[in-house]
Amino acid sequence: MTELIRANVLANFAYYRRSRLLIAFLLVFLLLTGLESLPALFSDSGVQAFNTLQGIFSTLNLYLLLFAGGLSLFLISSSLRSRSLKMVFTKPCPPSVWLASTFLSAVAVSLLLNCVVLASMVVMSLFWHVPIRAGLLFISADTFIASVGIIAYLMLLASVMHPAIAVTFALIFNAGMFYDFQFWTQSAIRAGNSSLGLRVLEKAFHYLYILLPMVHAFGKKTEGIYSSLRVLHGEWKYLVYAFGYVLALSAFCYLAALSALQRKRYI
Amino acid sequence: MIVADNIQIHFRRGPLRGKVHALNGLSLEVRDGDFFALVGQNGAGKSTAMYCFLGLLKPNSGKVEVMGKTPELGSPLYESVAYLPEEPHYHLYLTVEEATRYYASLYGKRISSKTVNDVLERLGLAQFKSLPLSKCSKGMKQKVGIAQCLIHESRLLFLDEPTRGLDPLLVREFRETLREIHQRGATIVMNSHVLSEIEMLANRVAIIDGGKVVAQDELRNFLTLDKELYNVTFEPNGSMPDYVTLVEHLGTVVKGSIPKERLYDFMDYTRAHDLNVHECSLKKASLEDSFFKIVKGAMPA
Repeated sequence: MTELIRANVLANFAYYRRSRLLIAFLLVFLLLTGLESLPALFSDSGVQAFNTLQGIFSTLNLYLLLFAGGLSLFLISSSLRSRSLKMVFTKPCPPSVWLASTFLSAVAVSLLLNCVVLASMVVMSLFWHVPIRAGLLFISADTFIASVGIIAYLMLLASVMHPAIAVTFALIFNAGMFYDFQFWTQSAIRAGNSSLGLRVLEKAFHYLYILLPMVHAFGKKTEGIYSSLRVLHGEWKYLVYAFGYVLALSAFCYLAALSALQRKRYI
Repeated sequence: MIVADNIQIHFRRGPLRGKVHALNGLSLEVRDGDFFALVGQNGAGKSTAMYCFLGLLKPNSGKVEVMGKTPELGSPLYESVAYLPEEPHYHLYLTVEEATRYYASLYGKRISSKTVNDVLERLGLAQFKSLPLSKCSKGMKQKVGIAQCLIHESRLLFLDEPTRGLDPLLVREFRETLREIHQRGATIVMNSHVLSEIEMLANRVAIIDGGKVVAQDELRNFLTLDKELYNVTFEPNGSMPDYVTLVEHLGTVVKGSIPKERLYDFMDYTRAHDLNVHECSLKKASLEDSFFKIVKGAMPA
């Protein structure tokens, strides 16, 4: 089992190293971030340096989330489309092990990139003489946890549908979108429009919001950390809660994706 | 080793399209130590049958057993099985060395670099070990597939059109490797359109047509002798005796057939005219002859 996971993870790392699409995405993200950091190089103001640092960190974390989705999406869909899984499943390596290895590979790369971003932020803080705040660590950990959720969700989608449809589906069917829909319908109901259709719609949006995966499960509680980069003593617990949520989400997505893979015809 | 009993497989190509019956009651038995060939026209169901034996496709009805177990994706059953796919369905982003190591490691054991290098050396791939599979020829990819059989000494090999697209030299080399693996005691199941190749390698043959086995026997029983005719190849000297039925002219050489009762007359004739006789043997039906006879016989008029 360990040897099987090791073999699959090493092969997946080779895929990541050689995937031109992923490398192109990474380069574009780096270029955009580099352009964003240019103004700070010509400023002596500490406040502006802090704002720039915060801006770059926020941008990089957004890219990390997008990239994390690509990590599982590209790997799974390319394996399914190239039919190379024939060579894996006709060996004593069941889909459960292959899928777990794929998930772990994507999580490992995501962790590495999160560490690189955090280290870069620390170096930039030192360079611009901005105090290193605990919020950097908190946000990095929170972004990594959110990345694991995105990896799991796209792993499931890539196992059951075409990658382009999977991306579209993920953009539409996420909790954030239905939270907004629910908010609008609630506002309309409060404004006096209490038709049956609207109330049914509000309930449907509510349940979809509950059921669909959230990127930042406790985003409302931790908004302050993202703006100030300061963490209060009682706020660290949200990382544990978010981790618990992502573990449950990953377990669900893993089992659903596994069921889909076991039903597929590899011919 | 493999028992397939009345397997039925049907696909629906799309929501509005009808069903395609890929296998229609296929039954066959592969014995331990066989070099078993599946022969049939395109679309006859050879590859589908192989996918069933490998657990890549589940039959709609019927039963498949490989080494006494029902094949499931990635089951421990595959510890002694190797598969070479028809199309190059390999991990193209891996190099020759990485792919060899990866496929070998999927048997659950760590493989030393020395073992990998020895196998690559033996297969003539050592100088290409850093080359990505995406840049390798089909023959090189097939050799990577063979490497896993050599590393693990698989007991059962499935080969789906293994020599398609290979040059004659590689085909010969590949054939020798297969003979070696078979002589070691492995059972081999092979799909191929190249009937001459099957004649050289297989000991048992199943002819598949319309998704079912229409004939299954020892190869030697397909290569029956026609005891009433002799095939002769000789260099004529102008006229030819009237009992020789001409088959073809090959430069100065003529191939033909003669009735058995005229064999001694033919020998006297060649002696009297001092003719060179290249070959004289009882007419043997090739696998190709048997295949056409059986498949045409199975087809509705």
